[in-house]
Amino acid sequence: METIIRTEKVDKVYYRGKPEEVRALHQIDLEIFKNRFVLLRGPSGSGKTTLLNVISTIDRPTEGFIFLFGEDVSKYSDVGLSRLRQKRIGLIFQNFNLLPRLPAWENVSFPLIPLGVMEKERRRRSVEMLTQLRLEKRIDHPPEQMSGGEQQRVAIARALINDPDIVMADEPTSNIDAKSIKTLLGILMDLKGKGKTIIVSSHDPVFLDYSETMFLLKDGKLIDIENPNDFKCP
Amino acid sequence: MKGNQTGDMSRHLNLLFTATANILRNKVRTILLILCLMAVLFPWITAISISEGIKFQSLLSVEEGADIYVTSDYFGSNGPIPLDYLDRFRKMEGVVSVFPRIVGRAYFVNRLATIVGILPENLPKSIHLARGRTFLEKGEVMVGKGLAQEFGLQPGVRFSLSINPSKLLKVMGIFDADATIWSSNLILMAFDDAGEFFKMKGKATDILVYTRPGYGSVLAKEIQEAGWDPPLRVQDKALVKRYFQRGFNYKAGVFTALYTVAFALAIPALLVISGFGQTERKKEIGVLKATGWQTQEVMEMVAIENLVISLTSAPLAILMSMVWLKWLNGAWIAQFFIAEIGLMAPFPIPSRFLPLPSILAFLFAVILTMVGSLYSTWRTAAVPPAEAMR
Repeated sequence: METIIRTEKVDKVYYRGKPEEVRALHQIDLEIFKNRFVLLRGPSGSGKTTLLNVISTIDRPTEGFIFLFGEDVSKYSDVGLSRLRQKRIGLIFQNFNLLPRLPAWENVSFPLIPLGVMEKERRRRSVEMLTQLRLEKRIDHPPEQMSGGEQQRVAIARALINDPDIVMADEPTSNIDAKSIKTLLGILMDLKGKGKTIIVSSHDPVFLDYSETMFLLKDGKLIDIENPNDFKCP
Repeated sequence: MKGNQTGDMSRHLNLLFTATANILRNKVRTILLILCLMAVLFPWITAISISEGIKFQSLLSVEEGADIYVTSDYFGSNGPIPLDYLDRFRKMEGVVSVFPRIVGRAYFVNRLATIVGILPENLPKSIHLARGRTFLEKGEVMVGKGLAQEFGLQPGVRFSLSINPSKLLKVMGIFDADATIWSSNLILMAFDDAGEFFKMKGKATDILVYTRPGYGSVLAKEIQEAGWDPPLRVQDKALVKRYFQRGFNYKAGVFTALYTVAFALAIPALLVISGFGQTERKKEIGVLKATGWQTQEVMEMVAIENLVISLTSAPLAILMSMVWLKWLNGAWIAQFFIAEIGLMAPFPIPSRFLPLPSILAFLFAVILTMVGSLYSTWRTAAVPPAEAMR
């Protein structure tokens, strides 16, 4: 099994040295294999989102090392991290983070802008992606004209537009209804079937039946790992 | 290599189109920013145009005028010069013609008019008779179009001025001139009449010397150093030109300096407007970075937005300045450059739009918008995306 993500003694401290200092992550060591469905689980405030942010490189650890695809990305420059996210990581945020005034297809396509993909091609690819996610009737609609589930699917389409190796979703079920949750699970499993690594941060038990590896966090510490066999290379 | 260049070009084009689309999408912010920039730039552009217009007219007048102006030296200032110098100057080598002139000022009702006493044959070529005829007889005058319009003066009308109420003057002609600023409030009369009017018989305020080409500065030096008693003050054409240029550059400089203060005060206002919707922008930048945009790409897009806004604002400010000058005759701003004209000038204010102030206006707009947004964008883009989106 190929290791795709590895962390070594990762700490994340907010307001370091100040009276309001918060230790969000404490000495996190974990390993994630390619093409696994991974669940980061824990109560609210346990550090799930912080850990997801750190391993997705949208936040930097205070201490420790993060290895992505075998490389120590803790030493990467801002440019290097942007390139890595652009090519290999797709992010789905809890509140979707869609740009309010842009129609769905533009929200999906803007990661392609710095790649020099021209508008016609951007639209073609976005429409294709939105159609796959059954949003063909919402292509020109801005987010405020869509339901939570639809907005999430637009966010998924945006995460997938560059065909990333890893898809990470933060609390993906918190802002959508039951029907949309079912759709979401279908999409994530389909992506896993296509060889992607799926990492979900959630306290929702709905993912328990789907995840192959589960990291349990509490107070910023990794307290349990389910399917520990995954950690031992055969 | 070629592929990379094409990719780079496509990326820059994409950023340009995205920036333009952002401007169009954020209409309120864009309109406010453009209006604010126009409000800051247009008075400056108008002022510089007026200054350049006046300078141009002045230089035209100087160019058309005499080669040497001679007055008496009264404690370092210009004083009346006796007419017996006329013959002495005429005898000098290189002199073509010499004639006396009286230039004085007097109130016409509440308007300060300039009275010029001159020989009819020496009337400047730039003066065009609009109505009536030139002065020929004693007591006859020609008045500038501005003064005539303001007080309803027509050929045949008689008037007197408070400085010498016993002398009755009769309007014989109304004239216009290339240099509106000098001609508008002018009253032209015969030299002898002016001498009588100002009670200065046998003297002129200055003597105008026309020379053969190349003799101007030599003769000026010769007259200056001839040891006259009382001593004379001599100004040649080049010197007068320099005075004018320096004077207007100084005024434009003072205006620009004063304006810079107002400009500096405008920066915080623009910062606020540039940062209009900054929270939303901060989040947007965070999302862009999270989805793979680089800081320099975000900065490029924002810089292009500012550039497009500046490219729109500067020509609009120039256009507004043209409208202000054409329809409102440079109201409020012109009085800084032309004394005693009040809020609305009674004559067409001269103006000239030169490329340099236009380029400077564009640069000012760029600086203002860049200062307003690039730093805050960089601060947002340089932090981890998770922090920007928080």
